[in-house]
Amino acid sequence: MTEDMTVRNQLMFGKLMIGATALLLMAAQASAETIEDKVAVCAGCHGADGKPVDKTIPTIWGQQAGYLYIQLRDFKRGDRKSEIMQPIATQFERDDMLAIAEYFSQKPWPDLGQPRAPKDVAAKAVAASASVGCPACHLDRFQGDGTVPRLAGMGRDYLAKTIADFRSRARGNNPGMSDLMLATSPDDLAALVDYLAGL
Amino acid sequence: MHVKGLAAFAAAVGVGLLSGTAVAQEVKQEKQSVLGNANVPPVTQEQLNAADKNAKDFLLTNGNYAQTRFYPGKQISRDNVKNLHVAWIFQTDVKESLETSPIVVDGVMYVTTSFSHVYALDAKTGQQLWHYAHKMGPITVYCCGPNNRGVQVLGDRVYLATLDSKLMALNAKTGEVVWTTNIADPELGYSETMAPTVVKDKVLIGTNGGEYGIRGFVRAYDAKTGKQLWNFNTIPDSSVGVWATKDATGRDMHRNIQAEKDMLAKIGDPYAKLGGGVWQNPSVDLATNRIYFVVGNPSPDLDGSNRPGDNLYTNSLVSLDLDTGKYVCHFQYIAHDVWDLDAVSPTVLVNVKDKDGKTIPGVIHAGKTGHIYVHDRKDCSLIRFSEAMVPQENMWVLPTKEGARMLPGANGGVEWSPIATDPGQELAYAINLHQPMTYHVESSAYPNGKLWLGGAFKVIPGEKQSGNITAVNYNTGKIKWQVKTPEPMIGGILATAGGLVFTGEGNGKFAAYNSSSGKELWSFRAGAGVNAPPSSYMVGGKQYVVVGAGGNTQLDYKRGNNIIAFTLD
Ligand code: HEC
Ligand code: HEC
Repeated sequence: MTEDMTVRNQLMFGKLMIGATALLLMAAQASAETIEDKVAVCAGCHGADGKPVDKTIPTIWGQQAGYLYIQLRDFKRGDRKSEIMQPIATQFERDDMLAIAEYFSQKPWPDLGQPRAPKDVAAKAVAASASVGCPACHLDRFQGDGTVPRLAGMGRDYLAKTIADFRSRARGNNPGMSDLMLATSPDDLAALVDYLAGL
Repeated sequence: MHVKGLAAFAAAVGVGLLSGTAVAQEVKQEKQSVLGNANVPPVTQEQLNAADKNAKDFLLTNGNYAQTRFYPGKQISRDNVKNLHVAWIFQTDVKESLETSPIVVDGVMYVTTSFSHVYALDAKTGQQLWHYAHKMGPITVYCCGPNNRGVQVLGDRVYLATLDSKLMALNAKTGEVVWTTNIADPELGYSETMAPTVVKDKVLIGTNGGEYGIRGFVRAYDAKTGKQLWNFNTIPDSSVGVWATKDATGRDMHRNIQAEKDMLAKIGDPYAKLGGGVWQNPSVDLATNRIYFVVGNPSPDLDGSNRPGDNLYTNSLVSLDLDTGKYVCHFQYIAHDVWDLDAVSPTVLVNVKDKDGKTIPGVIHAGKTGHIYVHDRKDCSLIRFSEAMVPQENMWVLPTKEGARMLPGANGGVEWSPIATDPGQELAYAINLHQPMTYHVESSAYPNGKLWLGGAFKVIPGEKQSGNITAVNYNTGKIKWQVKTPEPMIGGILATAGGLVFTGEGNGKFAAYNSSSGKELWSFRAGAGVNAPPSSYMVGGKQYVVVGAGGNTQLDYKRGNNIIAFTLD
């Protein structure tokens, strides 16, 4: 994992974007009545067709509603840090967040066309997954449920980034996940990233 | 990538704003409830009190209020069990982990599935009578799968506790909702997977959440209205205890008492976020009006540094007064647990021999440690513990950052799986796991209702895992027989007056064994993991055995959606 690279990209990307986002938010808020108005701005990064515009941006179409809500809540509270998402989430009240979460969860999960992991990588990933018991929470075929996210078919670079962030606790909104990532070797995690992206 | 990303962003922003409303909203197909008409008479309290002698029905999750899982019918016997065949298979709408205990009331069966669905079935034909599809709230937070372990009926109502932490009464005939009560806030880590126990117009329920820094409880709600009658905090305001250095079996737990005392002086009693979930039904002693249950692990599971003291009443047997919820007695198995080797499998009330050989009312519990513990019902004190049913090594090594190997692994021993007993033979039957693991510790502050493990337990790749079925004489603590299985076992077991025990495995095998010798007498392959407790009942003069085959989330056993009933030719 090239942690440094991604973080640097993210920071630059973030700074440039904040200006644009603020403008968009203002535009959106002028007539922020319907749910469509509220979510219009999201498409700019998370994709008008559900495919994120940048590889370090997560898929939110078809994601579990409970998970989406909790992330927006955590961005707003500052429990999860993101120069980009925190100012966006701060605009919303709980009911908005629940409605937005519900809205995106009903969209179809996009196919990012990522390749299946080669056999040896998949075998390594499955063994690592069995050791920690990822499916006990992420469920069969990594589909997620409630406040546990779907991982199957998530963008490869985002997965690598957020797992690295869990490990360094830069993503501090779920210490339990951080503990599990710290107990798993970087090698195994790299295999898991390829495997999950290709599901 | 960076530059391309920006360009794409700019382009997409425009598109996004314009087409935001144009994107058609796809609606996921949601399973709908189907109301029906189950021709079932009301269940009286007298019937429930006498459930242990009733071979026609299977009225409670664990057979009866004592939770013996001893079925008194004997039409299916050691001689004829080889002729057992499938009577019917019912396919539920939910293909996920099945932990349900089917109950049967006068020919009507009630089963549940993951995500808190309930079905009423004709127990003779498997035909669906009604289906309650719970509309789950968006926020569910749970540890080991979206499981549900069953329902209970009193009067003409079916009582259900849901994954999003609601308690509900349904109309037993139609499946309609009669009342709903919020038990606790799922956003803070509370969830429900257990079946309620209903007795004397009280609905008794515990809570999950020991992995999320909750404060656990057992509560009684009014069966008629859903109003809360009493609450017992499984973590008392004073959770420090007696600074026990040894576990129930006398082994040193390597606590650093001085460091804990220093921490206590610094942060005070940690009771507010200390966990202590209750996963399984209490047993009810009708003669003394007391209930008995076990309390699960402290939060965070593996990191004890921020929770000084014994962490009462985690990892304990607890008894309360049924009418008031007032404390009667407790016994702690592992003080200040940092291995999640907690107490989960439901308690059983049987008469036992005390240390002088006198027969007294006892209560027994099968631990994740792999011991069966035998207590005096009067004061919860420990009379004896059984030989270990699984290999134990390196107990109690403290978890480390790199991971320390210890047996049993964190799933046990005996997990939530209920045990069965055969009082005539003085035997308790338990299903066990053997999963070598390393225990890892990491420290972090309370995360606002998020997963709070304080580390991780990891199965050691390459080390062989297995399971077993063990019969233990609870009056001597000696193992009578043991059958090894290729995989760790989770689910449950049933003993019958026909001299049999029935239990299933993750590989789909469901089998009957001679309850005196462990000899296998019959088996069946279900095609999905049989990881649920079996039940038995009579309808139309014939005995049936029924079990769910839906696999298991926690151990990732093959999922399915079958309820399978067997009978004789
Ligand atoms: C300027 C770009 C941008 C915009 C606009 C944007 N997001 Fe994000 N979003 C991101 C990035 C980047 C991340 C990943 C942050 C990280 O790595 O921690 C993210 C993460 C998220 C997450 C967490 C997903 C996960 O899998 O953990 C959610 C939920 C989310 N965004 C929702 C929204 C919603 C809803 C909107 C619109 C109201 C929105 N975002 C608008 C860039 C954006
Ligand atoms: C005990 C339950 C549990 C286990 C086991 C578990 N996870 Fe998670 N995982 C979660 C929860 C809950 C979240 C949501 C985190 C949050 O609240 O922000 C999560 C989030 C994640 C995310 C972030 C997804 C996103 O969209 O940002 C990744 C990646 C992930 N888990 C991977 C794994 C892998 C790989 C394993 C096994 C090695 C694993 N998890 C095991 C519960 C679990």
